[in-house]
Amino acid sequence: MERGLFKPKSRVFIGYLVLPVLWYVFVVVMPLILAFNYSLYDWSGGPRMRFVGLSNYAELIKDTDFWLSFKNNIIITLLCIVGQIGIAFILAALMTTRVLKFKEFHRTVIFLPVVLSAVVIGFIWTLMYNQQIGILNWILRAIGLESLIKPWLDDPKIVIYSVSVPLIWQYIGFYLVILMASLQSIPKEIFEAAEIDGADGFKRTIYIILPLLADTLKVSVMLCIAGNMKVFDHIYVMTGGGPGKSSMVMAQYAYNNSFIMFKLGYGSTISVGILVLSLAIILLSRKLMGGKRQ
Amino acid sequence: MTLKRILSRIGALIINAFVMLLSLSSIFPIVWLIYSSLKTEREFALNIAALPAHPTFENYINAIKTAKMHIYFFNSLFTTVVSVILIVLFSFVVGYFFARYRFTGRNLLYTMFLAGMLIPIHALLVPMFVEFKVLGLLDKRITLILPYVGLGLPMAIFLMENFIKDIPHEIEEAAYIDGATLTTTLFRIILPICKPIISTVVILSSLSSWNEFSFALVLIKSDALKTLPVGLTNFTSQYTVKYTQLMAAITIAILPVIVVYLIFNKKVIQGLVAGAVKG
Repeated sequence: MERGLFKPKSRVFIGYLVLPVLWYVFVVVMPLILAFNYSLYDWSGGPRMRFVGLSNYAELIKDTDFWLSFKNNIIITLLCIVGQIGIAFILAALMTTRVLKFKEFHRTVIFLPVVLSAVVIGFIWTLMYNQQIGILNWILRAIGLESLIKPWLDDPKIVIYSVSVPLIWQYIGFYLVILMASLQSIPKEIFEAAEIDGADGFKRTIYIILPLLADTLKVSVMLCIAGNMKVFDHIYVMTGGGPGKSSMVMAQYAYNNSFIMFKLGYGSTISVGILVLSLAIILLSRKLMGGKRQ
Repeated sequence: MTLKRILSRIGALIINAFVMLLSLSSIFPIVWLIYSSLKTEREFALNIAALPAHPTFENYINAIKTAKMHIYFFNSLFTTVVSVILIVLFSFVVGYFFARYRFTGRNLLYTMFLAGMLIPIHALLVPMFVEFKVLGLLDKRITLILPYVGLGLPMAIFLMENFIKDIPHEIEEAAYIDGATLTTTLFRIILPICKPIISTVVILSSLSSWNEFSFALVLIKSDALKTLPVGLTNFTSQYTVKYTQLMAAITIAILPVIVVYLIFNKKVIQGLVAGAVKG
């Protein structure tokens, strides 16, 4: 590796690396260690810190609200896998056909929401869902579907779906671009040969594009899972986890416990719980799909 | 033959209409937001979908006067610029050493940095808040720069390391023979070669700093230091919601990103995808 390369003295190494390493340890490694530490205390942020051992964890395991929020994370993730990757896949397949026009335009426009902040997306959709001034109800009324008008973010039965729509909507373009990048590395001859053999439309998609994209689809699913385990900003802005706890997700639950109820000890326990569950799910799904990275 | 052609024409039309509808639905909410922000509250209430008859910047003036959007804007800009410069500098240096040298502790440091990509940021929120509180680092001008740089490093280092690995060693050897010091080689010779990957890192880290919300929400309390995303949430809680004014405020927050995206869209797309897929 460094064969023939000038090797500097160790103080040069230290000189260059000390600042970035300390910085990183200070804001990532230390808090991680502290999280485990605080999770063993009953602590509301004041000087009184009572060591309680693993009892916070025992509480977490019995905490139905936490598991409800975990379930909501799972629901959102599944909806996003189907919605984002599904729609992106159909679009990517259409992008390989000659029939589709304005491909560049579509790609640019569909990707645009990806670069916006989650908070802004949350606000825009809160406005769209609004009862009086929401454009969504306006459209439903305009096309004569008034019966479908609902209190989108206020009905506990549907709110989890309502909050998933903006999430799906925002990231379709992201998966579209990933899938397109991998389709572009496939020789055009394959598609041409398939066309000559009479494979078109549906057949072509199922027998040619799907297997060719299998690895990329696996990576996309992993990204989708990792992303949705930490979903917070959208939910915070749109519902704050409500009404009641019907759209509560893990990160929002940790936030509420730590910064609204000031249970910093238990909040840390929840954070560790999120860490463990997210890693477990990512590893599990990787195993299930037998997927290799990239 | 002709029937078949007509059918495939219809099919093509349906496909194009379907994708066009999808495309329009990805930007319609944003377009609606922007043009509605140019209406008065009354005009908006009258017909929420219509284009503004007499476009006015009144909402923008109010957003700046009453909601201090310009302060949030400046804070976001400052935090983003400083964070991005530091991320580029640190990740370049660390990435270079990882790519070129095997030294004691290299593998430990390498694993430590890369593991950062797997950590859900919300696991860090509470302990970082406490750490900062104890050390008196809450609510300062540099407060947000600390986590943004730290959290941006893993991905940036990874991208840099990958890129530098492929630069031929002969370049540094030649420089060494010519008597260049490590610092000269690093910043005069290697850094310019890394331009493409630096622009990717700049895009990734500026978007994530500009758009970041959770840390800004928890670590900053004073209005004078809030960033745009948090400033917006302020907006809805503090003032009776004037929708068109809120829309103007949101537009102020997203316009720079949209403009940059429209100018550099290929580069932005590449950068984001490289960051995600390689990570």
